[in-house]
Amino acid sequence: MIHILLRDLEIPDIWQFDTYTANGGYDGLKKAVHDLSPAETIQIVMDSNLRGRGGAGFSTGRKWSFIPKDAETTYVVVNADESEPGTFKDRQLLEKNPHQVIEGAMLAAYAIQAAAVYVYCRGEFWDLAHALEDRIEEARQANLVGDDILGTGWDCDVHVHLGAGAYICGEESALLNSLQGLLGQPRVRPPFPAQMGGGLYYQPTVVNNVETLANVPWIIVNGADAYKKIGTPESPGTKIFCVSGHVAKPGNYEIPLGLTFRELIYDHAGGILNGKRLKAILPSGASGPVLKATDEVLDAPLTYESVAALGSTLGSASFILMDEDTDMVWAAAKMIHFFKDESCGKCTPCREGTYWLDKIYARLLRGEGTAHDLEMLEKVPNQIAGVTLCALGDFAVNPVLATLEHFRDEYEQYIHQPEFGPEPAQAL
Amino acid sequence: MTKTATIMIDDQTYQVPDGINLVDAAKLHGITIPVFCYHPKMESVGMCRMCLVELGSISVNRDTGEPDLNDDGSPVVRWFPKLQTACTQTVRDGTVVRTSTAQVLEARDNILEFILTSHPLDCPICDKGGECPLQNLTMAYGPGRSNFIYDDKLHLDKHVPLGELIYLDRERCIQCARCTRFCDELVGDDVLAFHERGRSLQIVTISDPPFDTKFSGNTTDICPVGALTTADFRFGARPWELDEVPTICPHCPVGCNLSASTRIDRDFGGKKMIKRIMPRQNELVNEIWTCDKGRFGHHHSRAADRLQHPMMRQGGEWVKIDWATAYHQIASKLKKYADSAGFLAGPTLSNEDLWELRQLAELTGDTPRLGVWPAAMTGAGVVAQVGIGVNTRLQDVGPETAILVIASDLEEEAPIWWLQIKQAADRGAAVVVANARETKLDRVTHTVVHYDYGDAVAVLNSFAARARSRRKTSKALLDNRVDGYDDLAAGLKGTRVPFADAADVLLDAENVIVFAGAEGLTLDQHRELMQAAANLLIITGHVGRQNNGLVPVWPGANVQGALDIGFSPETTASLIDEPPAMWFIGGADPAADDSQAAHVLANAEFVVVGAQFMTATAAQADIILPRQSFAEREGTYTNGMRRVQRFYAAQGPVGDALPDWTIYAQIGARLKGPKPPVSAAAVMRAITQHVPRYAGMGYSSLAHVEAQFPDVGGDDLYYGGTAYANHGGLGVQWATDAEDDSARLVVRPAQIEKPEKSGDLCIVPVRLLYDRGPLFEPSDIMHQRVPEPYLELNSQDAAHLSIADGDRVMVTAGEIQIETAARVNGHAPEGVVLWPRRLAHGPAPALFSACSVQKIEE
Ligand SMILES: Cc1cc2nc3c(=O)[nH]c(=O)nc-3n(C[C@H](O)[C@H](O)[C@H](O)COP(=O)(O)O)c2cc1C
Ligand code: SF4
Ligand code: SF4
Ligand code: SF4
Ligand code: FES
Repeated sequence: MIHILLRDLEIPDIWQFDTYTANGGYDGLKKAVHDLSPAETIQIVMDSNLRGRGGAGFSTGRKWSFIPKDAETTYVVVNADESEPGTFKDRQLLEKNPHQVIEGAMLAAYAIQAAAVYVYCRGEFWDLAHALEDRIEEARQANLVGDDILGTGWDCDVHVHLGAGAYICGEESALLNSLQGLLGQPRVRPPFPAQMGGGLYYQPTVVNNVETLANVPWIIVNGADAYKKIGTPESPGTKIFCVSGHVAKPGNYEIPLGLTFRELIYDHAGGILNGKRLKAILPSGASGPVLKATDEVLDAPLTYESVAALGSTLGSASFILMDEDTDMVWAAAKMIHFFKDESCGKCTPCREGTYWLDKIYARLLRGEGTAHDLEMLEKVPNQIAGVTLCALGDFAVNPVLATLEHFRDEYEQYIHQPEFGPEPAQAL
Repeated sequence: MTKTATIMIDDQTYQVPDGINLVDAAKLHGITIPVFCYHPKMESVGMCRMCLVELGSISVNRDTGEPDLNDDGSPVVRWFPKLQTACTQTVRDGTVVRTSTAQVLEARDNILEFILTSHPLDCPICDKGGECPLQNLTMAYGPGRSNFIYDDKLHLDKHVPLGELIYLDRERCIQCARCTRFCDELVGDDVLAFHERGRSLQIVTISDPPFDTKFSGNTTDICPVGALTTADFRFGARPWELDEVPTICPHCPVGCNLSASTRIDRDFGGKKMIKRIMPRQNELVNEIWTCDKGRFGHHHSRAADRLQHPMMRQGGEWVKIDWATAYHQIASKLKKYADSAGFLAGPTLSNEDLWELRQLAELTGDTPRLGVWPAAMTGAGVVAQVGIGVNTRLQDVGPETAILVIASDLEEEAPIWWLQIKQAADRGAAVVVANARETKLDRVTHTVVHYDYGDAVAVLNSFAARARSRRKTSKALLDNRVDGYDDLAAGLKGTRVPFADAADVLLDAENVIVFAGAEGLTLDQHRELMQAAANLLIITGHVGRQNNGLVPVWPGANVQGALDIGFSPETTASLIDEPPAMWFIGGADPAADDSQAAHVLANAEFVVVGAQFMTATAAQADIILPRQSFAEREGTYTNGMRRVQRFYAAQGPVGDALPDWTIYAQIGARLKGPKPPVSAAAVMRAITQHVPRYAGMGYSSLAHVEAQFPDVGGDDLYYGGTAYANHGGLGVQWATDAEDDSARLVVRPAQIEKPEKSGDLCIVPVRLLYDRGPLFEPSDIMHQRVPEPYLELNSQDAAHLSIADGDRVMVTAGEIQIETAARVNGHAPEGVVLWPRRLAHGPAPALFSACSVQKIEE
């Protein structure tokens, strides 16, 4: 089993600058600035078919190539907001293998000739952020960050910024607003961050997830072909799966894309806690549709395209496992409550719709649910989906629609079975 | 805007200006795309999602550039898979949109249902009820009934003061961010913000004092629901009871077009009264904005202490007299003092009043002395030559234009011009601010010139010299139309150019506009400033065209009109230097503004004062004539951009007060003058016949209204907010000499002697928007915004005098002694005491003068 990312598992001290460099650290950056043009750097990443690990799985090389060639000022922003329920991979990378993230960010910066790199950390990462500043200083001392990098005349510093604890600030345009000191709400797109007017301070900007960038040094050193040998053609490379919930060995697992659900859950993560049966899987935290743990699902490969074919998303690969005792209505209620709390409130359907759904779930859980409520659970999500300003609105309806699709009987119990509560309250 | 795009809306083809917003494009052709958050004056935010449409574009063959065609010959349209917000799209060739398909209608219904889930629906007690976009759109597109269970509704505070002027109803707010965007983007005052997120997202004020901006009232107009209301109007009346009367703000030279919402009211003795003031759309003047002084400063028209009857002084007592007696008395005094009468017109006299005052004065002699008050600024001749070009639209000004603002604190003196220049700067216009001190306009630009008081003219001369040395002069104009250039050129030789960068900003622009005030200048000095500005504009060719020329920041609403009709500030100065035996004063309060004028009036033999209140000047009168306010009568004002604009009678009469023109004409009739005219329109007709620049400006042409773009003000409430429809006229702007190719333009050297540095302190009177002037003080609602009297000292000077911020001080300037508070805040230049006019009621120095300041020990 190779680790491209979680190299601390083999080399516990890799967070230290000397250990990192002794193990090939910053060779990618050196290679790029000395031997590769920015365009060649982009081309290698493009050829590697690396896909963004922040959620959408968009081609990283293509994203970089969108930066206008004539842009005077460009930026790289590292998305370390890691707020998806059940995601904890970026934390491990930043804590245990931080120089690789810095190097990856510097490679992105070199590729687009950025003026600066900003690392946007979620507010709760304050300890990490301070440590990261020390790591950046080490790189600065080694002339890998800052002025006249490696004697090439290229200046680019790295800055760390702490958010204030809002899920929406992981969404790239809200993140940029927050970084600029504005209210953390998404922007109208186009212009997209890579375009003029859409990025940080309205300059073309690449926003990448921590894990995405951590792949880049390996790709530059070993080449695109070597990278594509790992994983599948459509989903090359390794991916960190954050496995949590009713699982024997919760934790981060870096495995090549293309292994099956079953292999990940049973071979790597030790199966379900207390030998219970697996009931449902959230492959991408709260934001992707829940999957019923059927054989079809368990034998499907873990790739962007196959999870999509199952009707869910791989997203940032936060695997939350739920055993046979899990109350799916309760689980959906939790997630809706989360989205209701985290909706930024900028657009009407998400702001009002999540509030409404949360009220319905609260009533269901109190045992006061009605047939009207069940009807609304089918109607309201469809009033939200597809018409919101950002994807959070689309995420928010997934817990409702997917649990209704797979576990409708549980909802009906909440409404018809007296032991769950009094007779249905009066509908409108 | 000349390029057009061909677009398809609901399967019909239309031509629209290329690149405009899709919502505006639809509106141009009478197609409705409903909106809440979109506003044509602000950037789109795509928040409310009300404007969802099906959007696509005509597919074009890459090789041929021709549209791809379906089998039936119709163009192939590539549709977005999901509905798109129309307000975030600009149109271009091939844009295709469907605004009323089942999918779109369902989406609108859904959005409205969502908005209503959190809405209190207290329409019966809501000020917006009856003119509410949310009501209208719900009726048009909303769900017949809600699926939302009423008990789930969120309840929030309903009376949240955002400062003393504006109240927020948190339940009614639909989070459209119009109010915050207005403050942040359009004004640049950091005063409102969203707090929290999700359904807890709510508007808060973040400034101290709260909602600290001079434009706060505008947010209540653009708010698409009844969430923001003014303390002035809330719960005051129902919209359908109101009768809108077009009027013009009497407070400053911008001449904002306003609408007085009126109603027959018990509180005003069953007469028609103004319940609120709203802006009225005039894209060439105030667009759809007004400042808080214009909006809330209307209470003077019905203040309890308004003068109600003519009065005569008899043995130190005021005795009520009837009009006939007043006319008779005054006529006989005018006969008696015909050789020594002076006439003084205030800044709120309408053109009709001014005309009749002049007719009356001319009955006393061929060359009567006609002065205008305040006599702080001059330059009628210069304005007639190079005043701002006809049809200037400040809202269109961008990178091709440079704007110089000199010797004016523009936000205090003409707030809406300040607002428009701020926005022009945002669009890329180059703004140069030149003054002896920091003003708020400094923050919109990097090009700030801080000169010493006394150097304003030298700065303009240096710009002109720079124009010559950089060969930025207009040969065509200089060769063919300009007199006096050789003299000017000789005078400019060897002029130093200390602010070359600022000069170049102006010289490199395609268009140049100069706004000139008079801060720190005497009248004679101001004449030179205006000439120096004219010189610069003429030799560089920035005259006679749209978005070029000179705008004087006159000290009042109709100073331009007074100058046009033949009143002059020079005459005022001579009246004070060589006082007449009899004074005839209309709508001016010189005794409060200028201690020297007060002294002269006290020694006059006979004084007639037309006034709304018992002002310091009225108190010195022998006869007082109660004049009507702008609200009770009609008339015209000419704004600082020479636009003549009508206002209409909005309020019932107060006591026996009459319009000034009637009073003057009646007195004239008793001096063998003509029969008094029957109406203000008739007076205007006379003006059009005798004042050449006003030819053709009869009341009907002044009342003419054309469609305006963007059509924000319509009664259809298309863009939400409140209606600002202009039914009163857009006014007519008179053309300058520069616009007439055959007219000659005159330049001459302009110069002022810089006063020797004496080591003494000098008083520089400055204007504040919120003061204790007679037309503003009656608006109690604004009292918190009017500062206690103070003066501003430089910190060095203050240190020398051991004066700290907030100390009580005694100022001595010549005869005057005033006790006041000192502010030491870094705004006053060294050696200068800034003296805000009209904060105190006592005597005041009108002009730049030496003074001493002493701390008053406790
Ligand atoms: C509501 C929401 C929350 C998100 N949170 C995160 C996050 O915490 N971390 C992250 O990397 N991307 C997050 N994203 C995705 C980012 O918008 C963006 O797609 C990503 O940073 C791009 O990086 P990548 O191309 O490297 O994946 C979020 C997106 C949405 C809509
Ligand atoms: S979908 Fe939700 S989170 Fe996204 S902009 Fe709208 S309200 Fe904000
Ligand atoms: S107060 Fe009015 S203008 Fe401001 S956000 Fe709420 S609804 Fe919009
Ligand atoms: S800007 Fe001037 S004209 Fe307009 S409302 Fe204010 S004071 Fe009146
Ligand atoms: S989203 Fe277009 S009008 Fe609000």
